[in-house]
Amino acid sequence: IISEKDIAEPLEELEMALLENDVALDVSDAIIGYMKEDLVGSHRKIGTSVDTVVTAALRGALLRVLGEGFDPIDYVRAHERPVKILITGVNGTGKTTSIAKMAHYFKKNGFSVVLGAGDTFRAGAIDQIAEHAARLGVKVIQHQEGSDPAAVLYDTVEYAKAHEIDVVLADTAGRFHNRKNLMSQLDKIRRVMKPDLVVYVDEAVAGNDAVVRAKDFNDLVGTDAVMLTKADMDPRGGAAISIAQTIGKPILFLGTGQGYDDIVPFRPERVVDELIGAEG
Amino acid sequence: MLDSLSSSLKDALKKIAGKTVVDRAAVEELVRSLQRALLQADVNVKLVMHLSQSIKRRALEEEPPKGMNLREHVLRIVYQELVALMGGAGKVDLSQQTILMAGLQGSGKTTTTAKLARYFQRKGLKVGVICADTFRPGAYKQLSTLCAKVNVPIFGDPTEKDALLIVREGIKRFAETEVVIIDTQGRHALEDDLIQEIIDINEIAKPEHRWLVIDAALGQQAAEQARRFNEAIEIDGVLITKMDGTAKGGGALSAVSETKSGIVFIGAGETIDDLERFDPDGFISRLLGM
Ligand SMILES: Nc1nc2c(ncn2[C@@H]2O[C@H](COP(=O)(O)OP(=O)(O)OP(=O)(O)O)[C@@H](O)[C@H]2O)c(=O)[nH]1
Ligand SMILES: Nc1nc2c(ncn2[C@@H]2O[C@H](COP(=O)(O)OP(=O)(O)OP(=O)(O)O)[C@@H](O)[C@H]2O)c(=O)[nH]1
Ligand SMILES: [K+]
Ligand SMILES: [Mg+2]
Ligand SMILES: [Mg+2]
Repeated sequence: IISEKDIAEPLEELEMALLENDVALDVSDAIIGYMKEDLVGSHRKIGTSVDTVVTAALRGALLRVLGEGFDPIDYVRAHERPVKILITGVNGTGKTTSIAKMAHYFKKNGFSVVLGAGDTFRAGAIDQIAEHAARLGVKVIQHQEGSDPAAVLYDTVEYAKAHEIDVVLADTAGRFHNRKNLMSQLDKIRRVMKPDLVVYVDEAVAGNDAVVRAKDFNDLVGTDAVMLTKADMDPRGGAAISIAQTIGKPILFLGTGQGYDDIVPFRPERVVDELIGAEG
Repeated sequence: MLDSLSSSLKDALKKIAGKTVVDRAAVEELVRSLQRALLQADVNVKLVMHLSQSIKRRALEEEPPKGMNLREHVLRIVYQELVALMGGAGKVDLSQQTILMAGLQGSGKTTTTAKLARYFQRKGLKVGVICADTFRPGAYKQLSTLCAKVNVPIFGDPTEKDALLIVREGIKRFAETEVVIIDTQGRHALEDDLIQEIIDINEIAKPEHRWLVIDAALGQQAAEQARRFNEAIEIDGVLITKMDGTAKGGGALSAVSETKSGIVFIGAGETIDDLERFDPDGFISRLLGM
């Protein structure tokens, strides 16, 4: 039978490893907490070490946090077209680039795509998405810099309906969750274009703030799934765990570079292998 | 300063507030809540462990100076240790200089380049900006739009793919300009080709300053990334961006500690005037959770 004392040291080491891999502090605490509950009082087979038992428990706890993942191709197949996907997130996390990658991904899987240049605020944002669209050979609907983003995205949806396009990918300007007016603008966009999916984009290298902003975006405009970018900077990115634990939403894709093919459907087991491998 | 701390830290401090003799258990509890505050602010895990060890040791060993109660004494130690870690504000001079901007993808280099141009222009200097990002779609348009707002000339060519060529010509073009700022494309430690590119840009431009732009939300990767940039081009200043969000910027501490440099500016907003000189007191308060 395993006692609290048996596992105190391995758990402490584990917590350090989680923290060093950018799992947020509160999230690490919670995971260690579950593990303690599971382990204390449980029976250990003769011949297995405490470390083995703890590692297995961690694997279980992390997989539970990460959930099942989410297959976007199945989703589009099963839903009425156009499937409208709204992209949200704070500044510079990789929203626009991820839209280009997703467009490429859907195209490769046989779906037609239109992009909406809903970032009408940041300098150069419209040029950026328009250049991606041109390179990918997909249509982009754009208005002038400074115009109403809800109006562009409404037009994008109308275009998709008129031309029987399968997927609408709607870009938005990066914004911070603590800016009330910007968040209510995003909420307005959501009400106007009525997305089927709101995909929240954050980066694998984000630290503890990942928890704060994921929660606020989820509370203020809703999130259906998450895309985690820049996993190439840090393959272990504990931010996946932080975000999944905080909002309980599936992770759709990982971004793994700046090329259009650098997008991989999220596999929970792979991330857990990276994290546990890193620890062991 | 240090008045509005996170509540757990405040509670821990309260416990030692009335005491005159050092109480080991109270100090340990205080150090634990301090640890939590720093970890939550994304200060490097190993730095936090070192820091809390030395704070604990000093709090237990050092006599409080005359007239200082225990609470003030411990707070002073915390403050001194953090200041030592930060190494003070980085140097910014108002003379002829070239500044090379470096950093991870999306960290805020282009926006900050424009903010810096504005800063030096306001100080009465003649400024020119070079767009050496030949990779990101719309990069030239982004920088030229920002610079046009404040009438700062920009050199670049959205159709050119060779960043080194742009830098060579840009430096010639701005030979008579007092402050030249070079914006570069984003890159990270594992991208050897791109690290080589910035080494080459550095050799061509021979800039007086090489500043690393760090997103306030960057987590434990900050140390490793900063180390690689420092090896490549000897970083001599760190800029923290996006401090108007809720992130605490602890990653920047790892960056200054790896690069043995100082924090030069803080970016806190998307408009061109949202740039502040670094203020250690304000930064420490924020790290500890005010
Ligand atoms: N290494 C790496 N870079 C990425 C990845 N995804 C995006 N980027 C880069 O990150 C930078 C910012 O990407 P954007 O797509 O402009 O980010 P954004 O969220 O749209 O930014 P704003 O609209 O300004 O808020 C660009 O240089 C991208 O090439 C990724 O998965 N890996
Ligand atoms: N709120 C806020 N946003 C900022 C700040 N600094 C930059 N940004 C935003 O962050 C995003 C990325 O900034 P950029 O200047 O494009 O970043 P970059 O490092 O040049 O990106 P790449 O060239 O793709 O590597 C943009 O949306 C900026 O408007 C800041 O201090 N506060
Ligand atoms: K970023
Ligand atoms: Mg964008
Ligand atoms: Mg840039």
